[in-house]
Amino acid sequence: MKKSRASKGTILIISLYLVMPLLLTFLYSIFTEWNEVLPNGLTLKYYKEILLDKYFLTSVLRTMLISAIPFILCTSVVLLALYVIIVYHPGWDKYMQMLCNIPYALQGIILAISVLSLYVGAPYPLSNRFVMVVLTYCIVILPYIYRGLKNSLDTVNAKCLIEAAQMLGANRFYAFFKVIVPNILSGISIVAMLSISIVFGDFAIINIIGGSYYQTAQMYLYKKLFSSGQASSVIIVVMFGLTLILSGIVNILNKKKVRNRED
Amino acid sequence: MAYIRFEHINKYFGENHVLKDINLDIEREQLVTLLGPSGCGKSTLLRCLSGLERITSGRIFMDGTDITDIDPRDRNIGMVFQQYSLFPNMNVAENIAFGLRMKKLGKNDIAKKVSEVIGMVELSGKEKAYPANLSGGQQQRVALARAIVTRPKVLLLDEPLSAIDAKLRRSLQQSIKRIQSELGITSIFVTHDQDEAMVMSDRIHLFHNGEIEQSDSPISIYTNPRTKFAAEFIGHYNIITAAQFHKITGGTDTVSENVAIRPEAMEISLTPHEKKENSYQFQGIIINHLSHGNVLRYNVEVSGISLEVDVLFRSFYLYENGQTIFISVEHRNCLPV
Repeated sequence: MKKSRASKGTILIISLYLVMPLLLTFLYSIFTEWNEVLPNGLTLKYYKEILLDKYFLTSVLRTMLISAIPFILCTSVVLLALYVIIVYHPGWDKYMQMLCNIPYALQGIILAISVLSLYVGAPYPLSNRFVMVVLTYCIVILPYIYRGLKNSLDTVNAKCLIEAAQMLGANRFYAFFKVIVPNILSGISIVAMLSISIVFGDFAIINIIGGSYYQTAQMYLYKKLFSSGQASSVIIVVMFGLTLILSGIVNILNKKKVRNRED
Repeated sequence: MAYIRFEHINKYFGENHVLKDINLDIEREQLVTLLGPSGCGKSTLLRCLSGLERITSGRIFMDGTDITDIDPRDRNIGMVFQQYSLFPNMNVAENIAFGLRMKKLGKNDIAKKVSEVIGMVELSGKEKAYPANLSGGQQQRVALARAIVTRPKVLLLDEPLSAIDAKLRRSLQQSIKRIQSELGITSIFVTHDQDEAMVMSDRIHLFHNGEIEQSDSPISIYTNPRTKFAAEFIGHYNIITAAQFHKITGGTDTVSENVAIRPEAMEISLTPHEKKENSYQFQGIIINHLSHGNVLRYNVEVSGISLEVDVLFRSFYLYENGQTIFISVEHRNCLPV
Protein backbone atom coordinates (compact mmCIF):
# COMPACT_ATOMS: atom_id res chain seq x y z
CA MET A 1 0.00 0.00 0.00
CA LYS A 2 2.83 2.36 1.01
CA LYS A 3 4.66 1.52 -2.19
CA SER A 4 1.58 2.26 -4.25
CA ARG A 5 1.06 5.66 -2.58
CA ALA A 6 4.72 6.55 -3.05
CA SER A 7 4.63 5.66 -6.73
CA LYS A 8 1.37 7.59 -7.23
CA GLY A 9 2.90 10.58 -5.45
CA THR A 10 6.00 10.43 -7.66
CA ILE A 11 3.90 10.26 -10.82
CA LEU A 12 1.80 13.22 -9.59
CA ILE A 13 4.89 15.36 -8.93
CA ILE A 14 6.41 14.53 -12.32
CA SER A 15 3.09 15.22 -14.05
CA LEU A 16 2.78 18.61 -12.32
CA TYR A 17 6.35 19.46 -13.28
CA LEU A 18 5.64 18.63 -16.91
CA VAL A 19 2.22 20.29 -17.08
CA MET A 20 3.12 23.47 -15.17
CA PRO A 21 4.83 25.39 -18.04
CA LEU A 22 1.93 24.66 -20.37
CA LEU A 23 -0.63 25.55 -17.72
CA LEU A 24 1.07 28.88 -17.01
CA THR A 25 1.37 29.61 -20.72
CA PHE A 26 -2.35 28.89 -21.09
CA LEU A 27 -3.20 31.13 -18.12
CA TYR A 28 -1.03 33.89 -19.52
CA SER A 29 -2.87 33.64 -22.83
CA ILE A 30 -6.35 34.18 -21.37
CA PHE A 31 -5.66 37.39 -19.42
CA THR A 32 -5.31 40.89 -20.78
CA GLU A 33 -2.55 41.73 -18.32
CA TRP A 34 -0.25 39.88 -15.93
CA ASN A 35 2.08 42.55 -14.64
CA GLU A 36 1.51 41.98 -10.91
CA VAL A 37 1.24 38.89 -8.70
CA LEU A 38 -2.23 38.05 -9.98
CA PRO A 39 -3.44 38.53 -13.55
CA ASN A 40 -6.49 40.56 -14.47
CA GLY A 41 -8.91 40.93 -17.34
CA LEU A 42 -10.03 37.47 -18.44
CA THR A 43 -10.27 37.42 -22.25
CA LEU A 44 -10.24 35.19 -25.34
CA LYS A 45 -9.46 38.03 -27.71
CA TYR A 46 -5.92 36.77 -28.37
CA TYR A 47 -7.31 33.37 -29.40
CA LYS A 48 -9.79 35.10 -31.70
CA GLU A 49 -7.03 37.29 -33.12
CA ILE A 50 -4.63 34.39 -33.78
CA LEU A 51 -7.15 31.81 -34.98
CA LEU A 52 -8.65 34.27 -37.43
CA ASP A 53 -5.28 35.38 -38.76
CA LYS A 54 -4.89 33.77 -42.18
CA TYR A 55 -1.08 34.08 -41.93
CA PHE A 56 -1.13 31.92 -38.81
CA LEU A 57 -3.38 29.28 -40.37
CA THR A 58 -1.20 29.22 -43.47
CA SER A 59 1.92 28.88 -41.35
CA VAL A 60 0.34 25.95 -39.45
CA LEU A 61 -0.54 24.24 -42.72
CA ARG A 62 3.02 24.85 -43.94
CA THR A 63 4.39 23.37 -40.72
CA MET A 64 2.23 20.27 -41.14
CA LEU A 65 3.30 19.92 -44.75
CA ILE A 66 6.97 20.40 -44.00
CA SER A 67 6.66 17.81 -41.19
CA ALA A 68 4.76 15.23 -43.20
CA ILE A 69 6.80 15.29 -46.42
CA PRO A 70 10.21 14.51 -44.84
CA PHE A 71 8.62 11.79 -42.75
CA ILE A 72 7.00 10.11 -45.76
CA LEU A 73 10.13 10.50 -47.87
CA CYS A 74 12.55 9.33 -45.19
CA THR A 75 10.35 6.40 -44.10
CA SER A 76 10.00 5.19 -47.68
CA VAL A 77 13.74 5.36 -48.31
CA VAL A 78 14.66 3.71 -45.01
CA LEU A 79 12.07 0.95 -45.54
CA LEU A 80 13.49 0.22 -48.97
CA ALA A 81 17.03 0.21 -47.57
CA LEU A 82 16.00 -2.13 -44.75
CA TYR A 83 14.27 -4.39 -47.27
CA VAL A 84 17.52 -4.71 -49.22
CA ILE A 85 19.49 -5.30 -46.03
CA ILE A 86 17.13 -7.93 -44.60
CA VAL A 87 16.59 -9.81 -47.83
CA TYR A 88 19.87 -9.49 -49.69
CA HIS A 89 22.68 -8.11 -47.55
CA PRO A 90 22.20 -8.68 -43.80
CA GLY A 91 25.88 -7.82 -43.28
CA TRP A 92 25.32 -4.23 -44.41
CA ASP A 93 23.21 -3.41 -41.39
CA LYS A 94 26.19 -2.22 -39.34
CA TYR A 95 27.14 0.32 -42.05
CA MET A 96 23.56 1.52 -42.30
CA GLN A 97 23.49 1.94 -38.53
CA MET A 98 26.72 3.95 -38.61
CA LEU A 99 25.46 6.23 -41.40
CA CYS A 100 22.13 6.78 -39.70
CA ASN A 101 23.78 7.76 -36.43
CA ILE A 102 25.84 10.60 -38.00
CA PRO A 103 22.97 13.16 -37.92
CA TYR A 104 22.79 12.76 -34.10
CA ALA A 105 26.14 14.57 -33.98
CA LEU A 106 25.10 17.46 -36.26
CA GLN A 107 23.89 20.68 -34.69
CA GLY A 108 20.81 22.13 -36.46
CA ILE A 109 22.50 25.49 -37.13
CA ILE A 110 25.67 23.91 -38.52
CA LEU A 111 23.63 21.54 -40.69
CA ALA A 112 21.44 24.35 -42.02
CA ILE A 113 24.38 26.63 -42.84
CA SER A 114 26.25 23.78 -44.49
CA VAL A 115 23.27 22.81 -46.66
CA LEU A 116 22.63 26.41 -47.58
CA SER A 117 26.21 27.17 -48.55
CA LEU A 118 26.52 23.92 -50.49
CA TYR A 119 23.27 24.00 -52.46
CA VAL A 120 22.31 27.65 -52.80
CA GLY A 121 24.09 27.87 -56.15
CA ALA A 122 23.17 24.33 -57.22
CA PRO A 123 20.89 23.72 -60.20
CA TYR A 124 17.12 23.52 -59.72
CA PRO A 125 15.46 21.77 -57.89
CA LEU A 126 18.29 21.35 -55.37
CA SER A 127 18.58 25.12 -54.91
CA ASN A 128 14.85 25.44 -54.22
CA ARG A 129 14.40 26.48 -50.58
CA PHE A 130 11.45 24.14 -50.00
CA VAL A 131 13.39 21.18 -51.39
CA MET A 132 16.39 22.16 -49.27
CA VAL A 133 14.29 22.35 -46.10
CA VAL A 134 12.59 19.02 -46.81
CA LEU A 135 15.87 17.22 -47.47
CA THR A 136 17.55 18.81 -44.45
CA TYR A 137 14.69 17.62 -42.24
CA CYS A 138 15.12 14.16 -43.79
CA ILE A 139 18.69 14.17 -42.44
CA VAL A 140 17.55 15.39 -39.02
CA ILE A 141 14.88 12.73 -38.56
CA LEU A 142 16.84 9.90 -40.23
CA PRO A 143 18.28 8.38 -37.01
CA TYR A 144 14.89 8.31 -35.30
CA ILE A 145 13.18 6.79 -38.32
CA TYR A 146 15.90 4.19 -38.83
CA ARG A 147 16.02 3.15 -35.16
CA GLY A 148 12.22 2.98 -34.85
CA LEU A 149 11.73 0.96 -38.02
CA LYS A 150 14.67 -1.35 -37.31
CA ASN A 151 13.35 -2.16 -33.83
CA SER A 152 9.88 -2.83 -35.20
CA LEU A 153 11.25 -5.13 -37.90
CA ASP A 154 13.37 -6.99 -35.35
CA THR A 155 10.32 -7.44 -33.13
CA VAL A 156 8.23 -9.09 -35.86
CA ASN A 157 11.21 -11.19 -37.02
CA ALA A 158 10.91 -9.88 -40.56
CA LYS A 159 13.32 -12.36 -42.19
CA CYS A 160 11.36 -15.41 -40.98
CA LEU A 161 8.03 -13.92 -42.05
CA ILE A 162 9.39 -13.10 -45.51
CA GLU A 163 10.65 -16.67 -45.87
CA ALA A 164 7.27 -18.03 -44.77
CA ALA A 165 5.50 -15.82 -47.33
CA GLN A 166 7.97 -16.89 -50.03
CA MET A 167 7.23 -20.54 -49.36
CA LEU A 168 3.55 -19.73 -49.82
CA GLY A 169 4.14 -18.24 -53.25
CA ALA A 170 4.79 -14.55 -52.56
CA ASN A 171 7.80 -12.75 -53.96
CA ARG A 172 10.09 -11.04 -51.46
CA PHE A 173 9.07 -7.50 -52.35
CA TYR A 174 5.38 -8.33 -52.01
CA ALA A 175 6.07 -10.18 -48.75
CA PHE A 176 7.92 -7.20 -47.31
CA PHE A 177 5.40 -4.54 -48.20
CA LYS A 178 2.18 -6.58 -47.86
CA VAL A 179 3.07 -8.77 -44.89
CA ILE A 180 5.83 -7.06 -42.93
CA VAL A 181 4.88 -3.39 -43.26
CA PRO A 182 1.27 -3.91 -42.03
CA ASN A 183 2.77 -5.61 -38.98
CA ILE A 184 4.96 -2.64 -38.09
CA LEU A 185 2.31 0.06 -38.53
CA SER A 186 2.27 0.83 -34.82
CA GLY A 187 6.06 1.31 -34.94
CA ILE A 188 5.70 3.53 -38.00
CA SER A 189 3.05 5.65 -36.28
CA ILE A 190 5.29 6.15 -33.24
CA VAL A 191 8.17 7.13 -35.51
CA ALA A 192 5.79 9.50 -37.33
CA MET A 193 4.82 11.24 -34.09
CA LEU A 194 8.43 11.54 -33.02
CA SER A 195 9.72 12.93 -36.30
CA ILE A 196 6.75 15.27 -36.80
CA SER A 197 7.23 16.61 -33.25
CA ILE A 198 10.92 17.24 -33.96
CA VAL A 199 10.12 19.22 -37.13
CA PHE A 200 7.20 21.01 -35.42
CA GLY A 201 9.56 22.30 -32.76
CA ASP A 202 12.40 23.36 -35.07
CA PHE A 203 13.23 27.01 -35.53
CA ALA A 204 16.95 27.10 -36.39
CA ILE A 205 16.83 25.14 -39.67
CA ILE A 206 13.67 26.70 -41.03
CA ASN A 207 14.83 30.19 -40.12
CA ILE A 208 18.22 29.79 -41.80
CA ILE A 209 17.16 27.86 -44.90
CA GLY A 210 13.50 28.83 -45.29
CA GLY A 211 13.84 32.42 -44.09
CA SER A 212 11.22 34.59 -45.71
CA TYR A 213 10.69 32.02 -48.50
CA TYR A 214 8.85 29.53 -46.34
CA GLN A 215 7.35 30.69 -43.05
CA THR A 216 6.23 28.06 -40.58
CA ALA A 217 4.34 28.38 -37.29
CA GLN A 218 7.63 28.57 -35.40
CA MET A 219 8.67 31.61 -37.41
CA TYR A 220 5.23 33.16 -36.98
CA LEU A 221 5.66 32.60 -33.24
CA TYR A 222 9.09 34.22 -33.31
CA LYS A 223 7.67 37.34 -34.93
CA LYS A 224 4.77 37.49 -32.48
CA LEU A 225 7.17 37.29 -29.52
CA PHE A 226 8.18 40.89 -30.17
CA SER A 227 4.62 42.24 -30.53
CA SER A 228 2.54 40.40 -27.89
CA GLY A 229 3.42 37.92 -25.14
CA GLN A 230 -0.20 36.76 -24.86
CA ALA A 231 -0.51 36.14 -28.61
CA SER A 232 2.68 34.06 -28.64
CA SER A 233 1.32 32.08 -25.68
CA VAL A 234 -1.81 31.38 -27.71
CA ILE A 235 0.33 30.06 -30.58
CA ILE A 236 2.18 27.72 -28.21
CA VAL A 237 -1.09 26.42 -26.73
CA VAL A 238 -2.63 25.91 -30.18
CA MET A 239 0.46 24.12 -31.48
CA PHE A 240 0.53 21.92 -28.38
CA GLY A 241 -3.17 21.16 -28.81
CA LEU A 242 -2.59 20.22 -32.43
CA THR A 243 0.24 17.86 -31.52
CA LEU A 244 -1.94 16.36 -28.79
CA ILE A 245 -4.81 15.76 -31.22
CA LEU A 246 -2.47 14.10 -33.73
CA SER A 247 -0.97 11.87 -31.02
CA GLY A 248 -4.46 11.04 -29.77
CA ILE A 249 -5.62 9.97 -33.22
CA VAL A 250 -2.56 7.76 -33.69
CA ASN A 251 -3.03 6.23 -30.22
CA ILE A 252 -6.72 5.53 -30.79
CA LEU A 253 -6.00 3.89 -34.15
CA ASN A 254 -3.28 1.73 -32.61
CA LYS A 255 -5.43 0.70 -29.65
CA LYS A 256 -8.35 -0.09 -31.92
CA LYS A 257 -6.15 -2.36 -34.00
CA VAL A 258 -4.80 -4.17 -30.93
CA ARG A 259 -8.33 -4.55 -29.51
CA ASN A 260 -9.57 -6.01 -32.79
CA ARG A 261 -6.82 -8.63 -32.64
CA GLU A 262 -7.59 -9.48 -29.02
CA ASP A 263 -11.35 -9.91 -29.59
CA MET B 1 14.70 -42.16 -60.07
CA ALA B 2 13.83 -41.25 -56.48
CA TYR B 3 11.14 -38.59 -55.91
CA ILE B 4 13.71 -36.25 -54.36
CA ARG B 5 17.37 -36.61 -55.18
CA PHE B 6 20.28 -34.68 -53.74
CA GLU B 7 23.40 -35.10 -55.87
CA HIS B 8 26.81 -34.13 -54.50
CA ILE B 9 25.46 -31.24 -52.47
CA ASN B 10 28.06 -28.93 -50.98
CA LYS B 11 27.29 -25.81 -49.03
CA TYR B 12 29.73 -23.32 -47.58
CA PHE B 13 28.99 -20.43 -45.24
CA GLY B 14 32.18 -18.45 -45.77
CA GLU B 15 34.97 -20.87 -44.86
CA ASN B 16 32.60 -23.18 -43.02
CA HIS B 17 31.86 -26.34 -45.04
CA VAL B 18 28.35 -27.09 -43.78
CA LEU B 19 27.22 -29.79 -46.22
CA LYS B 20 29.89 -32.17 -47.50
CA ASP B 21 29.07 -33.94 -50.73
CA ILE B 22 25.61 -35.08 -49.68
CA ASN B 23 23.98 -37.75 -51.84
CA LEU B 24 20.50 -38.67 -50.75
CA ASP B 25 17.37 -40.20 -52.29
CA ILE B 26 13.90 -39.80 -50.81
CA GLU B 27 11.02 -41.88 -52.09
CA ARG B 28 7.50 -40.61 -52.83
CA GLU B 29 5.00 -40.40 -49.93
CA GLN B 30 7.62 -41.27 -47.33
CA LEU B 31 8.10 -39.37 -44.10
CA VAL B 32 11.83 -39.19 -43.59
CA THR B 33 13.72 -37.57 -40.76
CA LEU B 34 16.98 -35.70 -40.90
CA LEU B 35 18.33 -36.30 -37.43
CA GLY B 36 21.42 -34.93 -35.79
CA PRO B 37 22.82 -32.54 -33.21
CA SER B 38 22.72 -28.75 -33.62
CA GLY B 39 24.99 -27.45 -36.37
CA CYS B 40 25.29 -30.76 -38.23
CA GLY B 41 23.73 -29.37 -41.43
CA LYS B 42 20.30 -30.98 -41.36
CA SER B 43 18.32 -27.70 -41.39
CA THR B 44 20.64 -26.28 -44.04
CA LEU B 45 19.89 -29.21 -46.33
CA LEU B 46 16.17 -28.64 -45.77
CA ARG B 47 16.54 -24.94 -46.57
CA CYS B 48 18.51 -25.84 -49.70
CA LEU B 49 15.62 -28.04 -50.83
CA SER B 50 13.14 -25.25 -50.10
CA GLY B 51 15.25 -22.80 -52.11
CA LEU B 52 15.66 -20.40 -49.18
CA GLU B 53 19.38 -21.24 -49.22
CA ARG B 54 21.45 -21.65 -52.35
CA ILE B 55 23.80 -24.60 -52.59
CA THR B 56 27.47 -24.05 -53.42
CA SER B 57 27.62 -27.07 -55.74
CA GLY B 58 25.56 -30.11 -56.69
CA ARG B 59 22.05 -30.60 -58.06
CA ILE B 60 18.64 -31.15 -56.48
CA PHE B 61 15.92 -33.03 -58.33
CA MET B 62 12.26 -33.28 -57.42
CA ASP B 63 9.87 -35.52 -59.30
CA GLY B 64 12.40 -35.84 -62.09
CA THR B 65 12.89 -32.06 -62.50
CA ASP B 66 16.09 -30.22 -61.68
CA ILE B 67 14.94 -27.58 -59.19
CA THR B 68 18.39 -26.32 -58.17
CA ASP B 69 17.91 -22.88 -59.70
CA ILE B 70 14.15 -22.53 -59.31
CA ASP B 71 12.79 -19.75 -57.07
CA PRO B 72 11.34 -21.03 -53.74
CA ARG B 73 7.84 -19.80 -54.59
CA ASP B 74 7.81 -21.85 -57.79
CA ARG B 75 8.95 -25.13 -56.22
CA ASN B 76 5.53 -26.05 -54.79
CA ILE B 77 7.00 -26.99 -51.44
CA GLY B 78 5.23 -26.39 -48.13
CA MET B 79 7.27 -25.56 -45.06
CA VAL B 80 6.57 -25.48 -41.33
CA PHE B 81 9.08 -23.42 -39.38
CA GLN B 82 10.38 -23.90 -35.86
CA GLN B 83 9.18 -20.44 -34.74
CA TYR B 84 5.76 -20.88 -36.45
CA SER B 85 6.23 -17.68 -38.56
CA LEU B 86 2.52 -16.92 -38.62
CA PHE B 87 1.55 -13.47 -39.87
CA PRO B 88 0.55 -11.58 -36.70
CA ASN B 89 -1.85 -9.19 -38.43
CA MET B 90 -3.86 -12.01 -39.99
CA ASN B 91 -6.28 -14.32 -38.21
CA VAL B 92 -6.15 -18.11 -38.50
CA ALA B 93 -8.30 -18.27 -41.64
CA GLU B 94 -6.39 -15.44 -43.32
CA ASN B 95 -3.05 -17.04 -42.49
CA ILE B 96 -4.15 -20.33 -44.00
CA ALA B 97 -5.69 -18.62 -47.03
CA PHE B 98 -2.50 -16.66 -47.82
CA GLY B 99 -0.96 -19.34 -50.04
CA LEU B 100 -4.25 -19.88 -51.86
CA ARG B 101 -4.57 -16.13 -52.49
CA MET B 102 -1.07 -16.16 -53.96
CA LYS B 103 -2.26 -18.89 -56.31
CA LYS B 104 -5.14 -16.57 -57.26
CA LEU B 105 -7.91 -19.02 -56.35
CA GLY B 106 -11.52 -17.79 -56.19
CA LYS B 107 -13.06 -16.74 -52.87
CA ASN B 108 -15.38 -19.75 -52.69
CA ASP B 109 -12.56 -22.17 -53.42
CA ILE B 110 -10.41 -20.54 -50.78
CA ALA B 111 -13.17 -20.66 -48.15
CA LYS B 112 -13.83 -24.34 -48.90
CA LYS B 113 -10.18 -25.39 -48.74
CA VAL B 114 -9.51 -23.35 -45.61
CA SER B 115 -12.50 -24.85 -43.83
CA GLU B 116 -11.46 -28.36 -44.87
CA VAL B 117 -7.90 -27.99 -43.63
CA ILE B 118 -8.97 -26.30 -40.38
CA GLY B 119 -11.05 -29.39 -39.65
CA MET B 120 -8.09 -31.59 -40.48
CA VAL B 121 -5.84 -29.89 -37.92
CA GLU B 122 -8.68 -29.78 -35.36
CA LEU B 123 -8.92 -26.02 -35.10
CA SER B 124 -12.60 -25.56 -35.93
CA GLY B 125 -14.00 -22.51 -34.16
CA LYS B 126 -10.64 -20.73 -34.13
CA GLU B 127 -10.90 -19.25 -37.63
CA LYS B 128 -11.15 -15.66 -36.41
CA ALA B 129 -8.51 -15.94 -33.69
CA TYR B 130 -5.21 -14.09 -34.10
CA PRO B 131 -1.88 -15.92 -33.58
CA ALA B 132 -1.16 -13.94 -30.40
CA ASN B 133 -4.25 -15.49 -28.78
CA LEU B 134 -3.32 -19.09 -29.59
CA SER B 135 -1.19 -21.55 -27.63
CA GLY B 136 2.10 -22.80 -29.08
CA GLY B 137 0.47 -26.07 -30.13
CA GLN B 138 -2.43 -24.29 -31.83
CA GLN B 139 -0.04 -21.94 -33.62
CA GLN B 140 1.92 -24.88 -34.94
CA ARG B 141 -1.33 -26.51 -36.15
CA VAL B 142 -2.11 -23.29 -38.04
CA ALA B 143 1.39 -23.33 -39.52
CA LEU B 144 0.85 -26.95 -40.59
CA ALA B 145 -2.55 -26.14 -42.08
CA ARG B 146 -1.07 -23.16 -43.95
CA ALA B 147 1.67 -25.37 -45.38
CA ILE B 148 -0.60 -28.20 -46.58
CA VAL B 149 -3.61 -26.24 -47.80
CA THR B 150 -1.97 -25.62 -51.18
CA ARG B 151 -1.33 -29.37 -51.55
CA PRO B 152 2.44 -29.03 -52.03
CA LYS B 153 4.50 -31.78 -53.62
CA VAL B 154 6.74 -31.93 -50.57
CA LEU B 155 6.22 -30.86 -46.97
CA LEU B 156 9.25 -29.69 -44.99
CA LEU B 157 9.10 -29.54 -41.21
CA ASP B 158 12.03 -27.74 -39.62
CA GLU B 159 12.06 -28.74 -35.94
CA PRO B 160 8.38 -27.82 -35.71
CA LEU B 161 7.82 -29.26 -32.26
CA SER B 162 10.95 -28.18 -30.42
CA ALA B 163 9.26 -25.24 -28.67
CA ILE B 164 6.30 -27.32 -27.47
CA ASP B 165 5.95 -29.18 -24.16
CA ALA B 166 6.42 -32.95 -24.09
CA LYS B 167 2.78 -34.02 -23.75
CA LEU B 168 1.50 -31.75 -26.51
CA ARG B 169 4.46 -32.72 -28.66
CA ARG B 170 3.37 -36.36 -28.59
CA SER B 171 -0.13 -35.41 -29.66
CA LEU B 172 1.19 -33.21 -32.49
CA GLN B 173 3.54 -35.96 -33.63
CA GLN B 174 0.51 -38.21 -34.09
CA SER B 175 -1.40 -35.43 -35.88
CA ILE B 176 1.44 -34.76 -38.31
CA LYS B 177 1.87 -38.46 -39.02
CA ARG B 178 -1.88 -38.93 -39.54
CA ILE B 179 -2.20 -35.93 -41.87
CA GLN B 180 0.92 -36.88 -43.82
CA SER B 181 -0.45 -40.37 -44.29
CA GLU B 182 -3.95 -39.13 -45.25
CA LEU B 183 -2.62 -36.68 -47.83
CA GLY B 184 0.26 -38.86 -49.00
CA ILE B 185 2.62 -35.87 -49.08
CA THR B 186 6.32 -36.70 -49.23
CA SER B 187 7.58 -35.13 -46.01
CA ILE B 188 10.96 -34.32 -44.55
CA PHE B 189 11.14 -33.77 -40.83
CA VAL B 190 14.16 -32.20 -39.16
CA THR B 191 14.79 -32.87 -35.50
CA HIS B 192 17.57 -33.33 -32.98
CA ASP B 193 15.34 -35.53 -30.82
CA GLN B 194 16.03 -39.22 -31.48
CA ASP B 195 12.80 -40.35 -29.79
CA GLU B 196 10.80 -38.05 -32.05
CA ALA B 197 12.65 -39.39 -35.09
CA MET B 198 11.90 -42.97 -34.05
CA VAL B 199 8.18 -42.23 -33.64
CA MET B 200 7.71 -40.18 -36.80
CA SER B 201 9.84 -41.64 -39.51
CA ASP B 202 9.66 -44.22 -42.24
CA ARG B 203 13.39 -43.66 -42.62
CA ILE B 204 16.02 -41.79 -40.65
CA HIS B 205 19.07 -40.05 -42.10
CA LEU B 206 21.52 -39.40 -39.30
CA PHE B 207 23.70 -36.32 -39.84
CA HIS B 208 27.08 -35.63 -38.31
CA ASN B 209 29.41 -32.75 -39.21
CA GLY B 210 27.75 -32.07 -42.56
CA GLU B 211 27.71 -35.70 -43.67
CA ILE B 212 25.19 -38.49 -43.54
CA GLU B 213 26.45 -40.90 -40.91
CA GLN B 214 23.81 -43.57 -41.44
CA SER B 215 20.52 -43.97 -43.34
CA ASP B 216 18.15 -46.68 -42.23
CA SER B 217 14.72 -47.53 -40.89
CA PRO B 218 14.17 -46.43 -37.28
CA ILE B 219 14.44 -49.99 -35.96
CA SER B 220 17.55 -50.80 -37.96
CA ILE B 221 19.30 -47.62 -36.98
CA TYR B 222 18.49 -48.30 -33.34
CA THR B 223 19.45 -51.94 -33.30
CA ASN B 224 22.37 -51.68 -35.70
CA PRO B 225 24.21 -48.39 -35.34
CA ARG B 226 27.15 -48.57 -37.71
CA THR B 227 29.38 -46.00 -36.07
CA LYS B 228 30.28 -44.87 -32.59
CA PHE B 229 28.51 -41.55 -33.19
CA ALA B 230 25.32 -43.32 -34.32
CA ALA B 231 25.40 -45.53 -31.23
CA GLU B 232 25.93 -42.55 -28.97
CA PHE B 233 23.25 -40.44 -30.61
CA ILE B 234 20.56 -43.08 -31.09
CA GLY B 235 19.47 -44.80 -27.94
CA HIS B 236 21.62 -44.95 -24.86
CA TYR B 237 24.43 -47.34 -25.68
CA ASN B 238 27.28 -48.38 -23.42
CA ILE B 239 30.27 -47.77 -25.65
CA ILE B 240 33.46 -49.48 -24.55
CA THR B 241 36.81 -50.01 -26.22
CA ALA B 242 37.85 -53.40 -27.55
CA ALA B 243 40.35 -53.73 -24.67
CA GLN B 244 37.64 -53.02 -22.09
CA PHE B 245 35.33 -55.49 -23.82
CA HIS B 246 37.96 -58.23 -23.60
CA LYS B 247 38.57 -57.40 -19.97
CA ILE B 248 34.86 -57.73 -19.11
CA THR B 249 34.08 -60.84 -21.14
CA GLY B 250 37.43 -62.52 -20.74
CA GLY B 251 37.38 -63.23 -24.48
CA THR B 252 40.02 -62.56 -27.08
CA ASP B 253 37.80 -62.39 -30.18
CA THR B 254 38.80 -59.80 -32.73
CA VAL B 255 36.37 -56.91 -32.51
CA SER B 256 36.39 -53.42 -33.96
CA GLU B 257 37.78 -50.40 -32.15
CA ASN B 258 34.67 -50.04 -29.97
CA VAL B 259 31.77 -52.19 -28.87
CA ALA B 260 28.27 -50.84 -28.24
CA ILE B 261 25.86 -52.58 -25.90
CA ARG B 262 22.32 -51.33 -25.24
CA PRO B 263 21.46 -51.11 -21.52
CA GLU B 264 18.27 -53.13 -22.04
CA ALA B 265 20.14 -55.89 -23.91
CA MET B 266 21.83 -57.02 -20.70
CA GLU B 267 20.09 -59.33 -18.25
CA ILE B 268 20.80 -58.97 -14.59
CA SER B 269 20.34 -61.55 -11.79
CA LEU B 270 21.55 -62.42 -8.28
CA THR B 271 22.71 -65.88 -9.29
CA PRO B 272 24.87 -66.86 -12.27
CA HIS B 273 22.91 -67.36 -15.50
CA GLU B 274 22.79 -70.71 -17.18
CA LYS B 275 25.85 -70.99 -19.42
CA LYS B 276 24.95 -70.38 -23.06
CA GLU B 277 27.23 -70.57 -26.06
CA ASN B 278 25.86 -67.46 -27.67
CA SER B 279 26.19 -65.14 -24.69
CA TYR B 280 28.80 -63.50 -22.49
CA GLN B 281 28.45 -63.65 -18.74
CA PHE B 282 30.20 -61.55 -16.15
CA GLN B 283 29.96 -60.37 -12.59
CA GLY B 284 29.53 -56.80 -11.34
CA ILE B 285 28.67 -54.61 -8.39
CA ILE B 286 25.69 -52.24 -8.27
CA ILE B 287 26.99 -48.70 -7.75
CA ASN B 288 23.71 -46.80 -7.87
CA HIS B 289 20.41 -46.65 -9.69
CA LEU B 290 18.08 -44.08 -11.22
CA SER B 291 14.37 -44.38 -11.91
CA HIS B 292 13.26 -43.49 -15.46
CA GLY B 293 9.54 -44.04 -14.99
CA ASN B 294 8.90 -47.66 -15.93
CA VAL B 295 12.61 -48.42 -16.23
CA LEU B 296 15.30 -48.60 -13.55
CA ARG B 297 18.76 -47.79 -14.79
CA TYR B 298 21.51 -49.46 -12.74
CA ASN B 299 25.06 -48.25 -12.81
CA VAL B 300 27.18 -51.39 -12.51
CA GLU B 301 30.94 -51.68 -12.11
CA VAL B 302 32.46 -54.63 -13.96
CA SER B 303 36.23 -55.11 -13.63
CA GLY B 304 36.62 -51.40 -12.96
CA ILE B 305 34.49 -50.45 -16.00
CA SER B 306 31.19 -48.67 -15.55
CA LEU B 307 28.16 -50.02 -17.43
CA GLU B 308 24.51 -48.99 -17.43
CA VAL B 309 21.91 -51.75 -17.32
CA ASP B 310 18.17 -51.15 -17.76
CA VAL B 311 15.62 -53.28 -15.97
CA LEU B 312 11.84 -52.95 -16.23
CA PHE B 313 10.64 -51.40 -12.98
CA ARG B 314 9.05 -54.18 -10.96
CA SER B 315 8.36 -52.81 -7.55
CA PHE B 316 8.64 -56.22 -5.84
CA TYR B 317 12.41 -56.27 -6.12
CA LEU B 318 15.21 -53.72 -6.16
CA TYR B 319 18.89 -54.49 -6.29
CA GLU B 320 20.78 -52.76 -3.51
CA ASN B 321 23.77 -50.51 -4.02
CA GLY B 322 26.94 -52.50 -3.34
CA GLN B 323 25.24 -55.81 -4.14
CA THR B 324 27.07 -58.32 -6.36
CA ILE B 325 25.07 -59.31 -9.45
CA PHE B 326 25.55 -61.36 -12.62
CA ILE B 327 25.08 -60.00 -16.10
CA SER B 328 24.41 -61.88 -19.28
CA VAL B 329 24.45 -60.44 -22.79
CA GLU B 330 24.04 -62.21 -26.11
CA HIS B 331 26.88 -61.98 -28.62
CA ARG B 332 24.61 -60.40 -31.24
CA ASN B 333 23.87 -57.54 -28.89
CA CYS B 334 27.53 -56.55 -28.65
CA LEU B 335 27.79 -54.37 -31.73
CA PRO B 336 31.12 -53.43 -33.27
CA VAL B 337 31.17 -49.67 -33.99
